[in-house]
Amino acid sequence: MNRRSTRAWLIATAVLVAALLLAACAGHEWSSPCAIVRALAGDDSLRSRLLLQWRLPRVFAAALVGALLGLSGAVFQGVFRNPLAEPYLLGASGGAALGATVALLVPLGVPQAYVLPVLAFAGAWGATALVLGVSRVAGALDAAGMLLAGVAIAAMLGALRSFLMLALSDETVSLQVVMSWVLGGIQTPSWPGLGLLAALCVACLLATSRIAHGLDLLGLGTRAAQGFGLDVARFTPRAVVVGSLVVAAAVAYGGLVAFVGLAAPHIARWMVGPLHRGLLPASALTGAIVVTVADAIARSALPPAEIPLGLVTAVAGGPFFIVLLARRLRS
Amino acid sequence: MKRIALAFGVCVAALAHAAPIEVRDALGRTVVLPAPPQRLVTIFASNTELVAALGLVDRIVGVEEYTRFPQEAAAKPKVGGRLGFSVDAVVAQRPDLVIVTPARQAAHQLVDPMERLGVPVIVLLSRSVGEVLDNIRLIGRATGVSERGDALAQSLQVRLDRVAQQVAGRPAPRIVMVTGRVGNGMLLVARSDTYTGEAMVLAGGRFAIAGRGAVAQVSPEAILASNPDVLLFAGTQAALDDLVQLPGWRDMRAVREQRAVTVSRSEFLIPGPRTIDGIESLARWLHPVKASP
Repeated sequence: MNRRSTRAWLIATAVLVAALLLAACAGHEWSSPCAIVRALAGDDSLRSRLLLQWRLPRVFAAALVGALLGLSGAVFQGVFRNPLAEPYLLGASGGAALGATVALLVPLGVPQAYVLPVLAFAGAWGATALVLGVSRVAGALDAAGMLLAGVAIAAMLGALRSFLMLALSDETVSLQVVMSWVLGGIQTPSWPGLGLLAALCVACLLATSRIAHGLDLLGLGTRAAQGFGLDVARFTPRAVVVGSLVVAAAVAYGGLVAFVGLAAPHIARWMVGPLHRGLLPASALTGAIVVTVADAIARSALPPAEIPLGLVTAVAGGPFFIVLLARRLRS
Repeated sequence: MKRIALAFGVCVAALAHAAPIEVRDALGRTVVLPAPPQRLVTIFASNTELVAALGLVDRIVGVEEYTRFPQEAAAKPKVGGRLGFSVDAVVAQRPDLVIVTPARQAAHQLVDPMERLGVPVIVLLSRSVGEVLDNIRLIGRATGVSERGDALAQSLQVRLDRVAQQVAGRPAPRIVMVTGRVGNGMLLVARSDTYTGEAMVLAGGRFAIAGRGAVAQVSPEAILASNPDVLLFAGTQAALDDLVQLPGWRDMRAVREQRAVTVSRSEFLIPGPRTIDGIESLARWLHPVKASP
């Protein structure tokens, strides 16, 4: 690790801590850091309970979801060797949205808090597995084949979801709840639920570190990668499976959050360079910062309403990313 | 004597308050209230009207943006609206009971956090007129005014019975009630499994469109084909005039015979005490009482 990237890591970590503090204070009503300390010290007022049981788990969940999105974005851009690749490329978003639609509109007799993340995860992962299966059957397990299969599966899943939304909504069950989920929003987990998400996040970081070297080789081109001893035909679907598991975990807790998976790896690349050993965790850190700040804005910009997180990341993230890109190109 | 009565009243009240109140809500959740709640957040017009009908509008400390009635409730602090509901805003009102309906995103966004924070939440459903009356009794019991709730529900039931007598044996006209228009040209109609549809039947009508498809929306063609005796539109006269401009609708029997009329959205689409007013006025219009010769 050179001095420049060490400094970048330190700065990014400090920014994340600042973002977490800011997000903990932000909300419908601004809370002072003292109020947060009081809540942590065990104060039993309703306000303190709100901070401890609701806002803090949500702030940490936002950071972890952002980390997963950044991580999966870096994996997908590495696998497809395309700077425009994003985590939802292979139908994960369509599958997750279908799972969430079923969870939100079909009375399953199970508490929604449990069934929503499970079905969203199953949908995201199931859709990607379907894409891989179709590609395998079609004998097109290369990047282009998977992309085309992904487009077809996504179209089918989208139509199915639209039909379910039409068929299952009425005056009492609103489409708004599905719309809102599709536009992204962090589910506030309980503290044990947050522990599970953190464990998932660590597992994902470990799993992706195992494919970091392969992604570096793949970046040299298929032929060069094979020359260095990488079995590209086996590695590509394996890397897609890992990336899809990461994005499915993100979707289960955060719905469909636009733009973060696309932009975070680029910012991380400018920070630490293109090698995936450093790029993957840096991309996770960047994603965590972006989603933490965006979620704070979503919760506090239009009180008492909450703006869907995906809208904030796209509207605020787009121009920000363009400015960064312009500065980068000029320098 | 007055003092003794007052003391007795205070004792009775104290005893009543000593025991926690336990109710089961529409989701089958058991909600325990340690004492009659004094600070209510009521989400949705129907729940606000229900609490107001029990004479408890003073206890309401938070409502959502679309609350219009009664006026004193509409002026209360807002805890959400079109973009959903804010846990922060609800908690800021320090409620000791939150009443929601699983429409828009209310139950989805509020039940779990409130349970986690230890704030009692009652979820109400209003799938039938009977359920609306049950809700009145339930909220009466939950807020410590059981007698008032029972009396109100009973008086509404008496009015419903009177309407039932009035329409008994009269031929029921075939009706389509349009409750909204969708962007894709489809129409929303009152269906048999909703309290709106039931209210229409209680007023002495029957459904022109039989059965229920998988999709809640109906094509204008299906309504035209059913050729109802009466067309009801929950909305403004201008919107109804616009609706009957649809191709072919001028030839519909209801339109030809000038039996296409508007009904009040607040009476037929907000499941509260005012629904009974709507049933009475619709019954009077459908089955006018003939003047004695």
